[in-house]
Amino acid sequence: MIDLHGIISAYRGSPELGALVEGRTASALTFAGRYRLVDFALSNMKAAGVYNVDVVMQKNYQSLMDHIGSGKDWDMSKKVGGLSLLPPFGFGGNKGDYSGLLEALLAAEPYLRRMKENNIVIMPGNLAINIDLKAVLKSHVGSGAGVTIVCGEKGNEKCHKYVVDEQGDVVSALYQRAGAAVEGVADLEVYIVSKSVLLEMLDFAAAHMRYSFHSDGIAEYMKRGGKVHVYMHDGYTKQINTVADYMKANMDMLCRANRKSLFPVERPVLTKDRADVSTYYSEESKVINSLVSDGCYIEGTVKNCILAPGVHVGKGTCMENCIIMRDTYIGDNVTLKYVISDKYARIETSRELVGSHNIPVVIPRGYTT
Amino acid sequence: MKKTCIAMLLAGGQGSRLYALTRNVAKPNVPFGGKYRIIDFPLSNCANSGIDTVGVLTQYKPLMLNSYIGNGQPWDLDSSDGGVYILPPYMVEGEKGSWFAGTANAIYQNIEFMENYNPENVLILSGDHIYKMDYADMLREHLEKDAALTIAVQQVSMEEATRLGIMSCGEDGYINDFEEKPAHPKSDLASMGIYIFNYQKLKKYLIEDEADPTSSKDFGKNIIPNMMNAGEKLWAYRFDGYWRDVGTITSLWDANMDMLSPDLINLFDEQWPIRSRTAVRPPHWVGDHAEVNHSIITEGCEVEGTVENSVLSNSCIIGEGALVTYSVLMPGAVIGPGAVVEYAIIGENTVIEAGAHVGSQPDGSEEWGVATCGPNITIGAGAVVAAGAMIYESVEGK
Repeated sequence: MIDLHGIISAYRGSPELGALVEGRTASALTFAGRYRLVDFALSNMKAAGVYNVDVVMQKNYQSLMDHIGSGKDWDMSKKVGGLSLLPPFGFGGNKGDYSGLLEALLAAEPYLRRMKENNIVIMPGNLAINIDLKAVLKSHVGSGAGVTIVCGEKGNEKCHKYVVDEQGDVVSALYQRAGAAVEGVADLEVYIVSKSVLLEMLDFAAAHMRYSFHSDGIAEYMKRGGKVHVYMHDGYTKQINTVADYMKANMDMLCRANRKSLFPVERPVLTKDRADVSTYYSEESKVINSLVSDGCYIEGTVKNCILAPGVHVGKGTCMENCIIMRDTYIGDNVTLKYVISDKYARIETSRELVGSHNIPVVIPRGYTT
Repeated sequence: MKKTCIAMLLAGGQGSRLYALTRNVAKPNVPFGGKYRIIDFPLSNCANSGIDTVGVLTQYKPLMLNSYIGNGQPWDLDSSDGGVYILPPYMVEGEKGSWFAGTANAIYQNIEFMENYNPENVLILSGDHIYKMDYADMLREHLEKDAALTIAVQQVSMEEATRLGIMSCGEDGYINDFEEKPAHPKSDLASMGIYIFNYQKLKKYLIEDEADPTSSKDFGKNIIPNMMNAGEKLWAYRFDGYWRDVGTITSLWDANMDMLSPDLINLFDEQWPIRSRTAVRPPHWVGDHAEVNHSIITEGCEVEGTVENSVLSNSCIIGEGALVTYSVLMPGAVIGPGAVVEYAIIGENTVIEAGAHVGSQPDGSEEWGVATCGPNITIGAGAVVAAGAMIYESVEGK
């Protein structure tokens, strides 16, 4: 029995994802064709034997709930413990968005106080990563630290950074907008926190109404003399916060090394299985450098694309650098370049839609054009 | 609890005519059509027809089949008052247990299982056919015609009729004659081996037949002729949809090739989905130098060579410069760079190393056939496997 409880934070709004998060939260975004971003956190926890998991949600979480369900696809549907979906929890003066991770965790406070485990792993729901959480826990326990932060050499532009000593313990921290110019390793936003330390942080947050995990949680803990440890992870990692992130991360999946890093056979990424049929390629089809899910019917030319399940590509159609979500119908003689198409979209005969690598054309869900 | 109809699926046979492919697994567990295994067709048909209780009779090498079926969840057959049950032969007090002596004996040994559900009717299926059929429609006719037994039949050519069980019907539509592999068939209606029995009648004839020491304990040879001779009403349910037996290498390969023609059997039909238990693998990847035409590709595959007119199950790897044509690749097959696989079946996890050549194009000769490499072996670099070969063990490279 692994001494680790799981929290997936799926509450943050992502305004820079625009139409892609119309009616859904970033954690529910389709990724690499058949997955949703939350599958990584769920699968990594399952692989480590963590079955008691709480998912903290805030807005537009219907499709996320529908995808996760009882947690059965990750073996988290248990009679005792298992997965809990936590929609927003109003309390005290809370009026709207959780203003920091600690406020979101206060929503799970009853679960956290009651839990038997001595450690908690916190992962964002919109992070593409494949990491051995058992190894992270071992490192955390071995270091004697109250908080262990998983870091990489490089992170997002606005990530936090830490300078560490030879034991991997944090010497100094720089929060937000640190950028590449500053030295230190990049915070990937995966944390293991000891139960007692986390409860201290929550008490502090509630008492002072200061909810930032970094400046109010970690920094205050370090001021109290606490030890913070860093675990280095060198696999492919990407947190999806903008349309450009989304485009790049998906296209990165066309590279075999990245796929091997995110989808290793020994730690598979599991998802809700839709039981599609295998994909059919007609005699006129031509596909190059693309990732194609099951259930597709391909009669045209597809280059550098990612296709979700159930996509139909008509005769004479040419598509390049596109990300097509599930059950999209693309008719005959269509031209598409740098297009992201949401679910159930219909693109009729002879349409031409051309975007560019940093301004793709986004077709909203269910649109017919 | 009383059920209108439960299903008993005969999945115990050895499938010996598939040779290396069934050396270690039962035939119903053999991969098919990319995503599936043969048993997915009758199981999905049951689920889609509203039959919620299915007994699967296993006997030969059942381990992989048992874990494949599990609790029946992929076919939505995991309910609290029904479900899928694996029924192997078992011991009874005072006697040694006995293996299933024939198709009828297998069902006879499981009368206690059927009694649990006290069904009005029992559907008997085999696990070796590829087809989509609404059993509820067959049951409806069975009840309408007040039959003791309804047999599903399909019209075949007179030449094919000489190799099958043939039903002849009277003017009222009820079956009045039954011949096994007749030299001069009296009709063109072949039995599909799919039966719906009135349960009480089934029990009666099974018990009587079990007491007959000269009987082969077989439905076709014993139970059906006995019922007919006793004057029971036997109805022929005509089915004209796609239906294929996949008990030989040639027919297995043919049926896989049929999957490339969506007109013959539409697997994309959302009204009648065929489900399977699948490993969750990432979407398949088609590389920069790959060419895929008129083929079926399943998740987890990585294709860098040429694939034409072929059916690939999950996680197949096709190396650069390799050519796979008119072939069937089972899950995990690896085709090395520059290798050629034509008119062949490659078993699960088998590796065809660089430059090897398996199978060849039909040349009209008697000896030509589909080449088969069994599962979990390696065909060494540069080795040649002739058309029609059946390879059980690894072959050294040149």
